Amino acid sequence: MEVFLTHNQIFKADFSCPLWFSSSAKKLIKKILDPNPLTRITISEIIENDWFKKGYMPPMFEQADVSLDDVDAIFNESGDSQNLVVERREEWSSVPATMNAFELISTSQGLNLGSLFEKQMGLVKQETRFTSKCPANEIISKIEAAAMPMGFGVKKNNYKMKLLGEKTGRKGHLAVTTEIFQVAPSLCMVEVRKSKGDTLEFHTFYNNLSTGLKDIVWKTTDVEKDGSAAGPSPRR
Amino acid sequence: MGSTSKSLFLRSSSLTIGESICAATMIPIVAVIDFLIFATTNCFGFRPRPKKFLCGFADFTRLANESRFSVNEIEALYELFKKLSSSIIDDGSIHKEELQLALFHAPYGINLFLDRVFDLFDEKRNGVIEFDEFVHAINVFHPYSPVEDKIDFAFRLYDLRQTGFIEREEVKQMVIAILMECETTLSDDLLEEIIDKTFADADADKDGQINKEEWKAFVLRHPSLLKNMTLSHLKCVTTLFPSFVYNTGVED
Repeated sequence: MEVFLTHNQIFKADFSCPLWFSSSAKKLIKKILDPNPLTRITISEIIENDWFKKGYMPPMFEQADVSLDDVDAIFNESGDSQNLVVERREEWSSVPATMNAFELISTSQGLNLGSLFEKQMGLVKQETRFTSKCPANEIISKIEAAAMPMGFGVKKNNYKMKLLGEKTGRKGHLAVTTEIFQVAPSLCMVEVRKSKGDTLEFHTFYNNLSTGLKDIVWKTTDVEKDGSAAGPSPRR
Repeated sequence: MGSTSKSLFLRSSSLTIGESICAATMIPIVAVIDFLIFATTNCFGFRPRPKKFLCGFADFTRLANESRFSVNEIEALYELFKKLSSSIIDDGSIHKEELQLALFHAPYGINLFLDRVFDLFDEKRNGVIEFDEFVHAINVFHPYSPVEDKIDFAFRLYDLRQTGFIEREEVKQMVIAILMECETTLSDDLLEEIIDKTFADADADKDGQINKEEWKAFVLRHPSLLKNMTLSHLKCVTTLFPSFVYNTGVED
């Protein structure tokens, strides 16, 4: 149902609420649609309103993308951070983050219901992962060796790597973060996710990267059933 | 029979007694044949089965009140539900194969996690997911849904045998299942090692199983465990499924 309001109606706040609105809801809406900005209810007052507060959960902002501040802080060159920036190769004194059994289990496609939405809308995933039986150090070197010729600068910090595309794409430079988790002494889970840039370009990047990584990848978590992927491919 | 029916048509006015008797027997027979055709073609999917769709705006309002969704969002979810529930069998509910197709892009294969998810969605235990069950379950994944609900849902997911505890055997089964999904295997020793480490962390009273309280505490120590219990897509579901706009009963 489209509702057309004249300018007059808007200026006079001449509106009516549907019948099923509760009186407290109607009162709140009246206060919000007050044409006089001086008497209109403010955001903080709205949050304090009884009707608004019913069942209200203050928003919890989950990070859909890796926050770059986070990654940047890790790679900060100023030396303030506890983990020093390393652009030159060094002995790794630390070990990769571990993944416990439940973290591993929760990566299952059956437990990630986002696919219900993505498939319908033709959206593509912004992250993917694969398992490898190679030691973490080797995985790092292989990823670096594969990414650099593709025109990606590599910044490493322990077992988290940031790959930055030198070329500007459709939505700026493509930035990809890879993180390695130790599942068991001989098994690592590598997460590759887009932190900035166009998702389709991320897909192309990943497809190219995985040809370079063929020998370290054991199998991926999402082999396409179209037969074209012998190796890893991002989920659609 | 044929000639009798022809004569029925030709003489549209008053019927003789004989013809009335024929009509009386023919029509039920035709009705029976029609019913049989209807029933059998249903089996072959030639005709859509009667859909059990909710048609009422009242249903949408009720569901909106029972969840974190607005009526518009419920309508959008309904669009998604219709797509999912008609992908293989078009009967207004989601069958296990349809859920499998949506999550795995293939309607076959055995997957432990799919079974658990399907079970949790199918509140009424009638083997299919109806729209209200769909809304109730997906509501838990809303970004603004209480964390306790997510923790509880995850616990029930992982409690394979629904004993109220996540037993060690169940964890082992699930780890094997995810490794199979990754097309990878691990030796039994390594499997045990992974589980040992996890239980050392999670099983506070060291009884070999994880109870609700231990699970809660464990999850709060490892919040990434709940990452898959939130679907940010739900915040913009009305933009993802705009076709409801033409049918909405609610003003924007």
